[in-house]
Amino acid sequence: MGYPDNAVYAVAGYIIASAVILAYSVSLFLRIRNER
Amino acid sequence: MTKRDVALQLLRRGWVLTLGALAGLVIVYTRVAFFTPIESTQGPAQKIFYVHVSSAWASLGAFAVTGILSLLYLWRRDRKLDTVAEASAEVGLMFGVIMLTTGPIWGKVVWGTWWDWDAKLTSTLFLFLLFIGYTVLRGAVADLDTRARFSAVIGVLSLVLVPFIFLSVHMFRTLHPKPPVLRAGGPSMPAAMLITLLFSVFVFSVLYVGFVTLRYALAVLKELRAEEAAHGIS
Amino acid sequence: MSSSLWGTAFAVAAKDLKIEWRTKTAFASSLVFAVLVLAIFYFSRDSTVVSELDIAPAAIWVTFTFAAMLGLNRAFLLEQENRAIDGLLLSPVPRTGIFVGKILGNLAFVAVVELVSLPLFSLFFNVPILHVLPSLLGVAAMATIAFVTVGTLLSAMVVRTRFAELMLPILLLPFLVPPIIGAVQITAGILAGRPMSEFAGWLKLLGAFDIAFVTACLLLFEATVEE
Repeated sequence: MGYPDNAVYAVAGYIIASAVILAYSVSLFLRIRNER
Repeated sequence: MTKRDVALQLLRRGWVLTLGALAGLVIVYTRVAFFTPIESTQGPAQKIFYVHVSSAWASLGAFAVTGILSLLYLWRRDRKLDTVAEASAEVGLMFGVIMLTTGPIWGKVVWGTWWDWDAKLTSTLFLFLLFIGYTVLRGAVADLDTRARFSAVIGVLSLVLVPFIFLSVHMFRTLHPKPPVLRAGGPSMPAAMLITLLFSVFVFSVLYVGFVTLRYALAVLKELRAEEAAHGIS
Repeated sequence: MSSSLWGTAFAVAAKDLKIEWRTKTAFASSLVFAVLVLAIFYFSRDSTVVSELDIAPAAIWVTFTFAAMLGLNRAFLLEQENRAIDGLLLSPVPRTGIFVGKILGNLAFVAVVELVSLPLFSLFFNVPILHVLPSLLGVAAMATIAFVTVGTLLSAMVVRTRFAELMLPILLLPFLVPPIIGAVQITAGILAGRPMSEFAGWLKLLGAFDIAFVTACLLLFEATVEE
């Protein structure tokens, strides 16, 4: 292998990124629906 | 076209861009996980680099847009400029959260420490704080024109400030050098990694445009609601 | 025209300083704060590991920065009462003059606090400063101009918002970073006896910051007080 076994860091990063993006999308959706 | 028509059209375009970008994001993730080589010294954790750089690009770009629109607003006094600036600032903060969380995670891998007061991290942190201030300020001013003016002043001052923050921390660091940050693949990146990075940045850019469009449409809808309330139409 | 600008500026500054002189509350609290900060810094260090010289620049600059913030807060709260600032703005004087006057008043206030704190610092920390006083004062002036100018502009804005006292530190903090980094670096060097030529880079940064922000704030002031 040669490289450290640290995939968990990358997974954590991508989960955080996805969670934030999804949360923001949902928040936009709800706020827009509120104004229609 | 009425204001309402404009808002609805923007909503449609915004959702197309956003949903398209979200689909693109899935493709990016797949490519990162299965079709991009693992970096030899950092291991799989290095792959966080793609989402970190992309979100940094989106966040800093968003703040730059707000800064430039602030300047334009002070010149032109068109409140639409302020509304877009507000949308861009909010989206920039969202991407900034991703940037400032993925950054330290990557830092832990590369430097062994969660935080390091280097020029880039410090500048981005303070820029983030500036825009938190921008948002708080907007919440504290009721009159729309005053709010636009004050926000624009902060926006312009931020544009002037950021180079100085970067310079001052950079000068500090060249006096107190730290171990060099390991680059993604050494001095030159293998093509597969570069393509993944560029594609990721592209998807994030589209996502930024989609979100700003939606957020702007939201602001227009809110204005419409306020106008209708003022005229007594329910 | 320019005499009217400076005339206004000095009149505004004199008015503010006279008011402060009558009560001296902000001045007194700044001094008490300075002593407190110096004491905390002194007692918090492990004297076998950290010398007084190591901690001195930080102690001085925390003191100076917070003195400046106290002064800034007081300055516009003064105008906020009874909306006195509206009276100022209605009078037939150049607005830039009002702004420059506010800055001069704040600068004078902070300068006095700094001039009193320095000997206190020298006394408490057992660090001689007389031989380097000119350079020390020069650095202090450059950094103080930076944050008083930006702080005065921001105070002019936040005085009209809700939670004004809270908004000022939130907005001002990022603007303090470059001048303070520079000032602390130069102060540390001066106290350690290093020649000024070593800090050419930092001095240039401080100077550029001053020029950039004094210019920007003068240009932006109108936008903060127009109705």
